[in-house]
Amino acid sequence: MSTLTELSQAVESGKRKDATTITQALLDGGMAPLDIVEQGLVPGMSSIGEKFKNNEVFVPEMLIAARAMKECMAILEPLLAEAGVKPKHTAVIGTVQGDLHDIGKNLVAMMLKGANFGVVDLGTNVSPDQFVAAAREHEAKLVCLSALLTTTMPAMKTTVDAIRGSDVASVRVMIGGAPVTQDYCNEIGADGYGPDAASAVDVALQLAEAG
Amino acid sequence: MDRAFYLDLAKRGLRMPIGTHLVLHEHADAAEIPRDGERLGDVVIETAERFETPLAFPLMDLTLEKRALLRALGVPDEEIDSHHFNAPPTCAPEFRMGRRMRAACDAITHVSARRDLLPMGMEIGPFSLTTKLVNDPITPVFLAGSGMGADDEEEIATLEAVLAVATDFVLAYCDAQIDAGAKAIVICEPAANTVYFSPNQLRESYAVFDRYVMDPMRRIRARLDERGADLVFHDCGELDAGMVERFATLDAAIMSLGGSRCLWEDAARVPDSTVLYGNLPSKNFVSSTLTVAEVERLSGELLERMDACGHPFILGSECDSLHVPGSEGETLAKIDAFMKLPSPSTPTLTP
Repeated sequence: MSTLTELSQAVESGKRKDATTITQALLDGGMAPLDIVEQGLVPGMSSIGEKFKNNEVFVPEMLIAARAMKECMAILEPLLAEAGVKPKHTAVIGTVQGDLHDIGKNLVAMMLKGANFGVVDLGTNVSPDQFVAAAREHEAKLVCLSALLTTTMPAMKTTVDAIRGSDVASVRVMIGGAPVTQDYCNEIGADGYGPDAASAVDVALQLAEAG
Repeated sequence: MDRAFYLDLAKRGLRMPIGTHLVLHEHADAAEIPRDGERLGDVVIETAERFETPLAFPLMDLTLEKRALLRALGVPDEEIDSHHFNAPPTCAPEFRMGRRMRAACDAITHVSARRDLLPMGMEIGPFSLTTKLVNDPITPVFLAGSGMGADDEEEIATLEAVLAVATDFVLAYCDAQIDAGAKAIVICEPAANTVYFSPNQLRESYAVFDRYVMDPMRRIRARLDERGADLVFHDCGELDAGMVERFATLDAAIMSLGGSRCLWEDAARVPDSTVLYGNLPSKNFVSSTLTVAEVERLSGELLERMDACGHPFILGSECDSLHVPGSEGETLAKIDAFMKLPSPSTPTLTP
């Protein structure tokens, strides 16, 4: 019988075929889907996230691990939905208007899923109104804004302003991306700044748990 | 050009930002100018004159090639920004320049009428273009680095097929810019970095880096040689020493590196015939947290250390000094800071 530890290890090392095989074996053995997520997938992603923060692994290793987790989730999500299990927190994420870069945003989205967030990924070049509408529709706790370019950073402020001026003004906003800093976060009135994908998850959890 | 031209510029203490974007946006119709070759050429000339350099750096816009390539493959305009190949392209695109690319070539021709300026072309490198054309370029690169091949993973097959198409497209655009009068071509390969190539894998082997970045670059270098144009190689990504050593084998006339590198350390990795350019943190010039005093300090340190190591060097920005609305003053103040900083050991440049 495969174990949750083996699943965590398969995810962490990005072995997607092993990970999906183990996931299926655990289900076939009668384990609840939510237990597989919380005790197998989440620890695997947490472990690789810690290694990323410590510079033991890098973006490619993170992506490979996230891909393995994503394929496991493809098996588990229909079962979770069937059982009425919903993620504790929902985050809306996107790259701000005018910016078409998505690798960093995708990485954060996958890490958030790995931390058992429900993630609504709006893609790239997302307008402030789209962020507001998605936060409203999905009753999001968190909106995550990504920008790679100094030229598109001002769109983060526009988006924060749009959120604060809307009926979802209380939603927490976190920002990240190569040119973004904590100072800029403070300057535009965002609630949190994630310097990298793994740290972004910590910040997201703090913001979501803070209500 | 005779390589002595670039070495002499370094010897004479040339400093310059990559600043065409900034100067362009001082014009009320900045959005229109890049479509008009003559006016774009005038902006390039204005930039060269402003910063007192004979190097007529073009406008850095690394989105043009993707747009033109996809258009040539019949992708509708409204889908181009979001289009990614999920399978190998079924045919190679016929090389057709978009309007902005044609204007860039016309600008080169316009600049080439000026005998005191070096007309330069610019384009994205094959690997960086490829990363814009596939949905997730990092995974197939990592899988290839794990020993898998195109037969094992569809993502690798797609990446390699797209890279082949991208390389041919870049070569064709090189030819077009040289035909227009470019004497040097700036190839920008910012995606050849440690985000796309895992340092853990690079510790074992650079084989995949050589295959995906260096082999196409060697083809470009050979083409430029054939056509009598010089290579200016630019990579402002996070790099390791092994990458710099490989770029050095291209024997570029100028190598422009990002803020991740200590240029005085890289000097030993780069041939004396290659001028090092850079690498002040221009990506942060827009931020008030990077002060003018800090830019002066960094500039002074770079000048001193490069002077001490004796490698040909041009002080400048790590990348394009972008115009960001509302922050023009911040950026210009930092450019002024490094342009005007006294340098007692080198004579003043006479344009």
